[in-house]
Amino acid sequence: MLKKAKRIVALSLTLLMLLVVLSGCQGGQGDKILLFGTTGIDGNFASIMASNVYDSYVATLIFDFLIDNDAEGMYYGDIASYELSNGNRTYTFTLKDGIKFSDGQPLTSADVAFTYKTIGHPDYNGPRAYAVAGLVGYADYNSGASSDFAGIKVIDEKTIAFTFEEASPANIETFLYGIMPEHYYGFNTWSEFLALNEKPMGSGKFILEEYRPMEFVRLAANTDYWDRSKRVKIGGILMSEVPEESLLDAFATGALHVAQPQSNQDNVNAYRDMDGVTPQIILGNGYTFLCFNTLQPTLNDARVRQALMYGVDRVAFIEAVYGDMATVGLAPISPASWAFPDSGINDYAFDMDKAAALFAEAGWVKGSDGILEKDGVKMSINWLVYTDVAWPGRLAEMAYDSWGQLGVDLKIELMDFNTVAARTMDAPMDEKMNFDLYTMGFSLSIDPDPTGALFDYDAYTEGGFNASGYYNARSQELITLGKQEFDQGRRTEIYHEWARLMNEELPTVIVAYRNEIWAVSDNVKGMNISTYQTWVQNIHEITID
Amino acid sequence: MRAYIIRRILQIIPVFLGILIILFMIIELSPGGPMGNYIDPKMRPEMKEALAEKFGLNDPPVTRFFKWIGATLQGDLGQSIKFLKPVTEVLRPMIGPSLALSSLSLLLAMLVGIPAGIVSATKQYTLADNSLTVFSLIGISMPSFFFALLLLKFFSVDLGLFPLFGLRNPLYNAPNIFAQMGHMLWHLALPTVVLGLGSTATFMRYTRSSMLEVIRSDYIRTARAKGLAEKVVIYRHAFRNAVIPIITLLGFWIPALLSGAVITESIFGLPGLGKISVEAVMYRDYPIILAINAMLAMLTLLSTIIADILYAAADPRIKYN
Repeated sequence: MLKKAKRIVALSLTLLMLLVVLSGCQGGQGDKILLFGTTGIDGNFASIMASNVYDSYVATLIFDFLIDNDAEGMYYGDIASYELSNGNRTYTFTLKDGIKFSDGQPLTSADVAFTYKTIGHPDYNGPRAYAVAGLVGYADYNSGASSDFAGIKVIDEKTIAFTFEEASPANIETFLYGIMPEHYYGFNTWSEFLALNEKPMGSGKFILEEYRPMEFVRLAANTDYWDRSKRVKIGGILMSEVPEESLLDAFATGALHVAQPQSNQDNVNAYRDMDGVTPQIILGNGYTFLCFNTLQPTLNDARVRQALMYGVDRVAFIEAVYGDMATVGLAPISPASWAFPDSGINDYAFDMDKAAALFAEAGWVKGSDGILEKDGVKMSINWLVYTDVAWPGRLAEMAYDSWGQLGVDLKIELMDFNTVAARTMDAPMDEKMNFDLYTMGFSLSIDPDPTGALFDYDAYTEGGFNASGYYNARSQELITLGKQEFDQGRRTEIYHEWARLMNEELPTVIVAYRNEIWAVSDNVKGMNISTYQTWVQNIHEITID
Repeated sequence: MRAYIIRRILQIIPVFLGILIILFMIIELSPGGPMGNYIDPKMRPEMKEALAEKFGLNDPPVTRFFKWIGATLQGDLGQSIKFLKPVTEVLRPMIGPSLALSSLSLLLAMLVGIPAGIVSATKQYTLADNSLTVFSLIGISMPSFFFALLLLKFFSVDLGLFPLFGLRNPLYNAPNIFAQMGHMLWHLALPTVVLGLGSTATFMRYTRSSMLEVIRSDYIRTARAKGLAEKVVIYRHAFRNAVIPIITLLGFWIPALLSGAVITESIFGLPGLGKISVEAVMYRDYPIILAINAMLAMLTLLSTIIADILYAAADPRIKYN
């Protein structure tokens, strides 16, 4: 009996030792590589050049930022603290101690100034010029008239002040670009700068190891990261380009840990059914929209636009295209935002009787050919549909049926995305009347300020984003008030009123709010993605089993 | 012969210029432009305008055409608008994989297609011929994306024998260059089969019909009557005469070697000229579209000359003066 007990004890001890040895083997995270699937990396990694989302991920991993945001979309100082002064026009940043680039050199306010001056440089050909255009002295510096950027003042090695022409809470989004080392990126000619675009160097949590265009980016952990509390636990990240068709199989065969598959019900179901993978579903910060050319005689009456919206079953459309992966669009503000109004918004639920009544009220009656008519004008409209993705075509098909019953003669024109842009927003002013409707999707920044976007009359220009031609004095006034108001409570009220007005007037309809799907392997822990936070922002919390 | 070659090469110059003009016009006439990609409400129109100016998009088309021709003749293909680096640097890493993929698949097509065509012709209407004919019909009609997905499902997902995507696994540390080459060939195996399937079938059909025609000629009967072995008759006397249409086919294939395989490259996630062409067209990255098409036009012109020279080599009856 005793012998048996001894044997059990001995066996257990051996097992325990074995376990200790084994767990010792996997103890370190340093050799763990996070496998991330992308669909397109352009290699514009310098923080101020990145334009597509995957390039931005790389830039966020390699550079450090003055500010960051929390899950609610509130900004806070990241590698610096800041305060507002001078009637809210001046932001003064004070850098934290000990920040250094991955080559060991310290990060100073001169590097911050260099980064922002480079965006304003006369030769800068990236997409972010607007970030510094509101600063004092931009025009002089950008035109080359002055070699000094008056709005950017280095105070000492750790302190720097930015002064804007006009005070606005939205100005904070100027500081969303990673700080680049002047001693590395400093240039005489712009092509010298661009030559370093694919060889980024920053003070961030990762270092670029290898980039192969249209294949992969390999990043290694910056084991010497200046902020010990935020050093990453994993050893590196491999971002590979994976064809959409193979994404699911890549997870099934363990070739990927994280990716963002296309958002539709089939994908959610497939990833839910897969062992070892859990899809995270989050509300995307953006919307799809249907823009009416409100200057057309057919569409200049808000009642007609409302009738058209009652006359298309958006719930059925969303069910068919996205399943649970989208909800009906209500207002031109993300439902995740503090600025989104919880009440007083019409969802224009499918109602053919109401649609017919509104047409009648607006004076449109069916002619002998069954087409609505008013003052000799027929309700004949064209819709520019791009076929790069499926949803605009599906919505147009559904509208074709139900609007047809109402007496609307809809012509659907199929083309690619670039052509739709060229015929609507980018069309010269004398060609703005060659379309009636178009559909598209926009992503949003965290701040809800709609200046320059779909509803701003000042953006009704060649290349401007308001192709609807819609003008409403109150709307313009609210847009202006909203971007000047620093009191959060009053600002919320302003955007609520504005959102309700746009929901009533419908110059452009918000079609849907889409969810994003993130497929995440169960081996990966600490991956918290939300509407306002991407996976790269919390990268230091991630571990891999 | 030399005079003929020189004359042909000189003839290329006006034809090539004509092609460049038409190419430029087609791209110019297509709707949209690179600036259509800058969809950001914060970007004010005047900033877009300034950016277009920096990319040289604001000059009138004729000015841009002459600027482009002038630079191209000096070997400068311009800057990519999407990738913000010289076009040559964008395209250089894409040429290798595309060339490897298409030459491997062409090799496969010739090694399988030509012998199969000969067998099919010499054994006309037998079981072998019929099954090869059925195979070639399948090969010609099967959409490549479907065949690719079938292969991926079976060999990569179910059996785990081949990788799902990419030209290499970046985490693989090859001990030497041969191991690295083997690693890449392993990645290229399925794409090669997919791309080679259609051309294998085409080569087979061409060889078969061309052989059938030759086999029935009088001189073949004479060769047989002389008592030559059947093998000698088929491979020395018949095949050499049947090879001319195949050379024509090969001539068409040379530019295709570099044009890249759009669908195959996309499904297997291979970096190549086909994939980058599609991206360039979607983005309206004019300098890249122009460069790729100009290169293909030149290759097509050169390969027709090469095919003509090869005719003379294969058939002594053809003489150029």
